[in-house]
Amino acid sequence: MTEKKEKLTEQKFNLAHLTDKKGNLDGTNDYSRQMRDSLAGRLRAGDHSAAVELVDIYYKQIYLFMRRLGHDRQASEDLTQESFFNAWQHIGQLRDGKALNGWMYRIAANVSKLYWRKHKDRKTAAFEGFDVPDSTNAGDDKVERNEQLEHLKNAVARLSVKLRQTIVLHYIQQLTIAESADAAGIRQGTFKSRLNRALAALRKQVT
Amino acid sequence: MPKEEELKELLNKLPDVTTEFVQPRLAEDIKHQIPHRLSPHRVGMDTINIIIDFRINKLAAAAAIIITIIFCATFLGGRDSAGGSVLQDSVLLIKYWGASVESDISAGRSKYELLLGCGEDVVWYGDSLDTKDRNAVLMQRKLADGQYEVTFVDGNEKQVNAEELVKLLTKMLKKGVK
Repeated sequence: MTEKKEKLTEQKFNLAHLTDKKGNLDGTNDYSRQMRDSLAGRLRAGDHSAAVELVDIYYKQIYLFMRRLGHDRQASEDLTQESFFNAWQHIGQLRDGKALNGWMYRIAANVSKLYWRKHKDRKTAAFEGFDVPDSTNAGDDKVERNEQLEHLKNAVARLSVKLRQTIVLHYIQQLTIAESADAAGIRQGTFKSRLNRALAALRKQVT
Repeated sequence: MPKEEELKELLNKLPDVTTEFVQPRLAEDIKHQIPHRLSPHRVGMDTINIIIDFRINKLAAAAAIIITIIFCATFLGGRDSAGGSVLQDSVLLIKYWGASVESDISAGRSKYELLLGCGEDVVWYGDSLDTKDRNAVLMQRKLADGQYEVTFVDGNEKQVNAEELVKLLTKMLKKGVK
């Protein structure tokens, strides 16, 4: 039993090394690709411990993704749980390790979309609760920078749901274009043009 | 109006200013909801999966389906409106049996790759064995004390010494390798 626990800790430790600073599984080297493939393979085979690892890797990311899409704290927690619940139901759709990010985010994005559809009357929350670091004692440059960031945050929050999702997936969750397009359920070309529209809208708003 | 590059630079800073503490209990809550049996099939979509969800073993599930089919055929004379779905379920059952061996081998393969990645001394036999033989050795792993951990096609594991390992492999070869 203890041996099994130690093995699990060791596996989690290995996976922790393969995640970048945002917690995404880094697919840049062969070993991490192998680990990602192995995780996807184990998930497809119904391995319970692989599901636990998936939760450890993604729960923070998906919660913050929901928050950044404009859901409040309580709704974000509920939607994160719902995303994982849906993930267990759709494990058969996970192709391989390379598709892991896109698959997980696509499920979460769909859960969010359904929520907005059901609660049309609810307004998207601004990035409520996310505070730019206090800069009262900092230099002028830093104050200006923080003001710009504050403006940008509000501008992103004012974007339409689709454009906001585009910015959140690519710039804030830091997914690649391919992964973001997969998560949004659209072609890469469509995603790129949506991204350009979002950037143009932001440029207009942030002066 | 900020330049393109300046805007992108600012956007790349947004992850740091749009983050907050995430309750670890959220992870625990999600983990508690992981189903006992994760299935690549959609749950609740057909009779087989519903029965499997009740955690009845495969043979019991098969027996329950066969009894249901006989019941429908006897009392409804095969003319019921559900006839199509019974047929679909039978096809799914056959597919499920076929897939279970593959999924056991796939799970073994994933484990093998994981152990290999960790530098363990492992040997994979899965590519050349007879998958119908549930007692065939899928892989072997050398343990620190000189013993071997063997994994069989049905997913069971056993610790054996070198002599027993040779016996198992010889038996497997005699039965016929693909």
